[in-house]
Amino acid sequence: MGVDLRSMLNPKSVAIIGASQNPEKVGHIILQNYINSGYAGKLFAINKDAESILGVKAYRHIGEIKERLDLAVIAIPAPFVPQVLEECGKAGVRSTIVVTAGFEEIGQKELQDQIVEISERYKMPMLGPNCLGVIDTRARTDTLFLPTYKLSKPGVGYVSFISQSGAAGSTILDLIAGEGFGLSKFISYGNAAYIDESDILEYLMNDDDTKVIIMYIEGIKNGKKFIEVARKVTKKKPVVVLKGGRTSVGQQATLSHTASLAGDYQVYEGIFQQFGFTIANDLNDLLYYAKTLVSEPAPKGNRIGIITNGGGAGVITTDAVGYTRELKLAELSDKSKQLLRKKMPPLVNIRIPLDLAGDAGGDRYETAVAAMRDDPNIDMIIVIALFQTPGADSGVVAKLVHFKADIEKPMIVISIGAEYTQIHNRMMEESGLPVYDSPSAAVKALAELYKYYNYKGRK
Amino acid sequence: MTLSDYFEGEKLLKKYGISSIRSWYVSSAEEAIKRADGNPIVMKVISDKALHKSKSGLVALDLKTDKEISSAFKSLTAKAQTLKPYKVIVQEMSKGGIEVIIGGKTDPQFGKVILLGLGGIYVEAFKDFAIRVCPIDDKDAGSMIDSLRSAEVITYNSENKRMLGELLVKVSKMLNGTDLKELDLNPVILRKDGYDVVDIRILK
Repeated sequence: MGVDLRSMLNPKSVAIIGASQNPEKVGHIILQNYINSGYAGKLFAINKDAESILGVKAYRHIGEIKERLDLAVIAIPAPFVPQVLEECGKAGVRSTIVVTAGFEEIGQKELQDQIVEISERYKMPMLGPNCLGVIDTRARTDTLFLPTYKLSKPGVGYVSFISQSGAAGSTILDLIAGEGFGLSKFISYGNAAYIDESDILEYLMNDDDTKVIIMYIEGIKNGKKFIEVARKVTKKKPVVVLKGGRTSVGQQATLSHTASLAGDYQVYEGIFQQFGFTIANDLNDLLYYAKTLVSEPAPKGNRIGIITNGGGAGVITTDAVGYTRELKLAELSDKSKQLLRKKMPPLVNIRIPLDLAGDAGGDRYETAVAAMRDDPNIDMIIVIALFQTPGADSGVVAKLVHFKADIEKPMIVISIGAEYTQIHNRMMEESGLPVYDSPSAAVKALAELYKYYNYKGRK
Repeated sequence: MTLSDYFEGEKLLKKYGISSIRSWYVSSAEEAIKRADGNPIVMKVISDKALHKSKSGLVALDLKTDKEISSAFKSLTAKAQTLKPYKVIVQEMSKGGIEVIIGGKTDPQFGKVILLGLGGIYVEAFKDFAIRVCPIDDKDAGSMIDSLRSAEVITYNSENKRMLGELLVKVSKMLNGTDLKELDLNPVILRKDGYDVVDIRILK
């Protein structure tokens, strides 16, 4: 049985310890963010001097609050953290998030051991220290100490994000905010002194509001524990992982070929492959893969149908399919060929990639997608819509969005361009249709989708 | 770390049902000729100071005549003077096939891991290999093979693939059951009808 993170993510009552009237202080920003996100539970500020902060009544001491708190967010200098944790324990606080830095990451191992000991003694799970804490978009909790104007916050969705690093975490969070798929939970766990990545992974594995997990890690706290969770989690939902710190500086001289090949990262990569993790090589990959994994169903096979309104983009996408080891270009069934030949104007070549030509509007897209939807030779569909062409406009978007609700095959869109295109892309993304601005990203996303379900269905 | 004796390694492999090519230590050219008994042999120098035996010219292949054997013994022992202590080993000559490396090591975080890669002299050049944490099952073994870029070169038919998969599972069992730091079976030569483990390197 893993650690229950509910009291952190969805607390009924929260105390911000170190809440301050000074808008530059971390404790002030956290309180402000709770208020801004519309948190509906009970909020308490702990401050030695103030009567109230941002309209929230302030207490001098956590013991003065006469009810049992689900969560204390601790944002005070490191040397004072042990004493405050002790007070939280005595007051019966259910869990804590220590955002404060200045522990093991700067060599203060003893101070960290001390706060772990206190948390264990009171059986009070602690996230951090040295972390950003959590966001739960449904519970409207937000412990991030980053001012709202600096960082866009994602909408409500089904992707949850675990990050060891706070800085990488907030960057990726900002990027997610620019995507249509939204966020379920964000958990930044910092030094992993008490709750580590395996605990969080296990919790999210059983969380109904999480359909895809993405994670940024630099190391793993406990390898054996991680493997036990890794074995289970991907049987339930996809996990996209980006591992920082791949090149090991000053690797030891080895006496065998195996040890010289199997460096630290190679072992991580092997384990990710073994347990069906989706491996990201860059920050953007996390988003590219998550986008398709969260919205698309399991493909029946690896044959790709391509529809385009531009010859070049169709060729580049076809090439990208050829570069993958997993996917191949589909061939239209005879039935589809006959149907398309009858309905398409003569200038349309009936083959894949199916080039509808630059004057194609919504109707031609509708005919093409319907044919591929019903074609047993096609497992996944890529629709390229270039809005610079004379024929493409919101009519194309309307048809594609309509199909999204009515198709059991994975279908994604490639649409590349500036403002006019972006408007249409947003319309499609908000309707749950994954849109990519690069053929290679789109194709890689489908390859990863195929790989994941192939692993999941492995007998 | 210390290098285990070659025949200790051979014995360990045998315990897990893994056969290796017949080998003997020899201390003279005459002894080598006697062991060859008219068949082609391979002669190697073993020393923990030499990781790259073939690159360092410490392997003589396909020695057929008494004369070839004698002159190989002479030149190899001359080269080995800087590698003391060393031993000379002779082996039956493998009929040849695709060379792979099967290895293992104890990772400080995750415990025993197993490696499969394109072997022999290609290991370092192409770095085409897959790693899994032990123990592995036949599905893991299959996915290891499939994940190599050279998968189709290594396993040219399904029988061959099944055989390699079984071998990987056995090596994984051996790794889990043995207290060792590093293991190289390099190369393992995959033939149509079997495999030859022609070099064993175990570090404890």
